[in-house]
Amino acid sequence: MSVLPWLVAAWLFCVGIYGIVTSRNFVHLIGCLSVCQSSTYVLLLGIGYQWGAVAPIFYDHPPGTPAVDPVVQALVLTDIVVGATVTALLLAMALQVSRKHETLDPQKLRPFIDEGRR
Amino acid sequence: MSTRLRLALFAVAQLCLLPAIWKIARALPPFGNPIEIYGRSIDTLGPPLRHISNMVSAVNFDFRGLDTVGEEFMLLCAVTGAVTLLRGIRGEDRGAKAERLPGRPLLDRAESTILVARVFAPLILLFGLYMVLHATVTPGGGFQGGVIIASGLLLVYLGEGYDAWRCLAPSRVFDAMEGGGSLLFLLCGLGPMAAGGVFMENLLPLGSIKDVFSGGLIVIENASVAIAVIGGFAMLFLEFMEETRAAETENER
Repeated sequence: MSVLPWLVAAWLFCVGIYGIVTSRNFVHLIGCLSVCQSSTYVLLLGIGYQWGAVAPIFYDHPPGTPAVDPVVQALVLTDIVVGATVTALLLAMALQVSRKHETLDPQKLRPFIDEGRR
Repeated sequence: MSTRLRLALFAVAQLCLLPAIWKIARALPPFGNPIEIYGRSIDTLGPPLRHISNMVSAVNFDFRGLDTVGEEFMLLCAVTGAVTLLRGIRGEDRGAKAERLPGRPLLDRAESTILVARVFAPLILLFGLYMVLHATVTPGGGFQGGVIIASGLLLVYLGEGYDAWRCLAPSRVFDAMEGGGSLLFLLCGLGPMAAGGVFMENLLPLGSIKDVFSGGLIVIENASVAIAVIGGFAMLFLEFMEETRAAETENER
């Protein structure tokens, strides 16, 4: 059972990366990227976990009680917030792509050629 | 390139990475074992050194505050990039009318929707505020609370409609919040240097543990992060919402 968290992280990452490689739509691709990102959350929280430990909040427990690793929790916390804004940035880029190329399919995209210069 | 070829190429690339992946997988600590010394030291030393009980906030805003400055500016860059991309095409004016398919009837908002939104929007805003204020005491903090408050703003839109929402939440306010919050956070780092300390040294009085205003500088940093996160997320909502509006001039043409 103790490898289960690592397997979940690996599975999430593989599912996400398979989606990215075979994606036919940028919005789907950005969703897959978020799935990949979630695998890092599982991995980090798994590394910081300790059997029988409490949350790293010493309000009800006196300081010194075994607690899980607060460093990875802080990492995951900021990662989620920053990840959400980066997703928004990518979606804005997808909007631009669909305006310029009239497609959202990454496999149909060609390098943008300036019509005026040709 | 066909999907099959793409997958084959990807598999080859993975094969090249396999030795590295294997090495890392072997080096992973067994799940549930006692945590690393760094985390354990923070768990032990955090409460007596900083007089706060939430160690995640202690890591974010004090012990690894420098990293959070980086995160904060990643947030600022991502929001600025997204907003610039969206505004770049549309300009700064706000669309007055919603774009809709011709022939589709315009339905009034259901009264039950208004009721639910009016009941829950203040509650969610209050909960977000609670999360922000109790960063040093119980689970919560500027990042989480800021996102909750910004999501509560969406409920205001759902209940009151677009115009009322824009009047309530002008985009200039959010611009100022996003930039100002990041600036305040940076000043929290630079201020102690001006006073002769090191970057982000906690020079303020620490207060007593389990008190909302304990932690000295952490309280201010937490507030600045909350302000920046609220501003950033609200701005993103606003700009994406504006994408679905038709400009008035185009409508009249």
